Amino acid sequence: MKRPVWMSILIFGVIPGIFAGIQAAAYVLAWLGQKLFDGGGYLANMLTLMLVVVMVLATLLVLAERKWSALMQDRVGPNVARLPIPGLSKNPLFGLPHVAADVLKMLFKEDLVPSKVSRLMFELGPVLAFAPAFALFAVVPAGPAINWDGIRVPMVVAEPDFGILYLFAIASLAVYGTSLAGWASNNKFALLGGVRASSQMISYEVGLGLSLVGLFLAFGSVQLGALADAQTQYLWKLGDGAFDLGLPAWGIFLQPYGFILFFAAASAETKRAPFDVPEGESEIIGYFVEYSGMKFGLFMISEFVEVVVLSGVITVLFLGGWHLPVGDAWLTAKLTAVHPLLYGTVAATLFWLKVVTLCYVQMAVRWTMPRFRYDQIQALGWKILFPLGLVNLFLTGALVLIDPSLRLLAVVGLLQIGLLAALTAAAGPKKKADTALAHGGHGHDAHPAAPAAAAHH
Amino acid sequence: MSVENVLFWVFALGIVSSAFLVILARNPVHSAMALVGAFFFLAAEYVLLWAHTIAVLQVLVYAGAIMVLFLFVIMLLSLTDADLQPGQVTLARVVGGASAAGLCLVMVETLSKTKGAGQVIAGEQTQVFGTLAEMGRVIYTQYLFPFEAVSLLLLVAIVGAVVVAKARI
Repeated sequence: MKRPVWMSILIFGVIPGIFAGIQAAAYVLAWLGQKLFDGGGYLANMLTLMLVVVMVLATLLVLAERKWSALMQDRVGPNVARLPIPGLSKNPLFGLPHVAADVLKMLFKEDLVPSKVSRLMFELGPVLAFAPAFALFAVVPAGPAINWDGIRVPMVVAEPDFGILYLFAIASLAVYGTSLAGWASNNKFALLGGVRASSQMISYEVGLGLSLVGLFLAFGSVQLGALADAQTQYLWKLGDGAFDLGLPAWGIFLQPYGFILFFAAASAETKRAPFDVPEGESEIIGYFVEYSGMKFGLFMISEFVEVVVLSGVITVLFLGGWHLPVGDAWLTAKLTAVHPLLYGTVAATLFWLKVVTLCYVQMAVRWTMPRFRYDQIQALGWKILFPLGLVNLFLTGALVLIDPSLRLLAVVGLLQIGLLAALTAAAGPKKKADTALAHGGHGHDAHPAAPAAAAHH
Repeated sequence: MSVENVLFWVFALGIVSSAFLVILARNPVHSAMALVGAFFFLAAEYVLLWAHTIAVLQVLVYAGAIMVLFLFVIMLLSLTDADLQPGQVTLARVVGGASAAGLCLVMVETLSKTKGAGQVIAGEQTQVFGTLAEMGRVIYTQYLFPFEAVSLLLLVAIVGAVVVAKARI
């Protein structure tokens, strides 16, 4: 068979199938846990969602990043490692043996510790970088809470009433890992990398929080489960048939600027390109230069865990969580009538498919955009994201106050999407004459003398 | 002893020991990290007091924002032992010690006179007390004036910081 056929089977058959299987097992485990004692379901979810799904997804993203970057750069990609199993020793298996090879390399590499370092702080660095990233997923709901045999089975690890504040609190702790790693390495370049990392993360935390306040105003909650359920309402509904059709009140329609600001700020927090000045694996030296083996592995995997968590948070806040855009109520009723477990499994599978798609978007951004300069990062954070976030907040507040049904907000949101599309089209491929000038400077910080000088020649 | 009592003593011991570590550690970065530990134990005590929103704000504001800036500055300064000179009685140390003792006395006096000390949260109150919604309601109704006064104070501090920084440039 041809490659597109294989890829279609993989994307539309195998991947949803795997997620459905895992989620069905997760629901059964959570049900058993909840039956055993109250709160047991949350413990079971911690094992299945955080330890299995998020960790395995993050590990596979290491391979996915290699394959996608190879695809975008017209290279072959990882195909050398083989499993020493008869019959499979000649098959590259999509590069999957490279994951095992990576893990084995990191586990068995010599653990080097630089001289004259504070040993405790040196060891604490990777731990403090990984632990917050891993703990973030606790409040992200992967599926609806189903009612099975009179037992409420949740598909989230914790449901605190302060919801998203937990995410902000834990995300702000990740700075300790990077700054301690830079300081404890007893290396000037690592220290500079640590300072770059922590200043970038501190700067973007402000915009990160501010970009979401408009969404909280619109939905009137900060709990992620409640936010996901608030997006099932329709702004405009077509007809009254059994199959519901219309424009759902998804966060991305109500808060397109909030979505873009949050995505940009959160990308800066994950320290991936175009915000990878703190790391700069190949050209500039990052904060983890003195770390080897699994300690470096912890820094690397925490980055991929953050990618998964960010995708999960965006899915819940802006893309309706586990809900379908149209026909959600119809599907819910049909599936719940068969068995609540079936509904939960299908909904949670939908959530994970959205998450995987967003992971791909992040990978594509990472391999498309060039790296920002350090001053551009700070200018973008403080002079563009922060004021835009404030404008978005006041605009949203006024629109929600005028029209609590959110329709006015949605009209403005759709206009914003149209404006963004027009701006993107206008900034697209330029004529030859323009490109010469565009190279002189980048956007807002273009040197004022540059066009004049170019005209002079 | 109930579980809450045992946990209280565990966390209290954690607060006191990490607070001692803050002033006893020779390395300023170690001191800063010990202070972060103290903040975490304090957040745990807030949870035991049914104030879980205060606990998460404690982590968000003190551990996540303020101490990060402290650490950031400490990392860039290279303090040596000569700067610290142990065992010398200076004016700054006397004034600092006296202020700390005075603050401690005021705290003890205030807390012992506070209304509702020793109040037990039970029944329906557990569903409302300490939640984000309840905190917001109280801040924007009962304590609106102190809240606005504090935000004005912060604004003054920000303007002051900008003025000082600009004067140096």
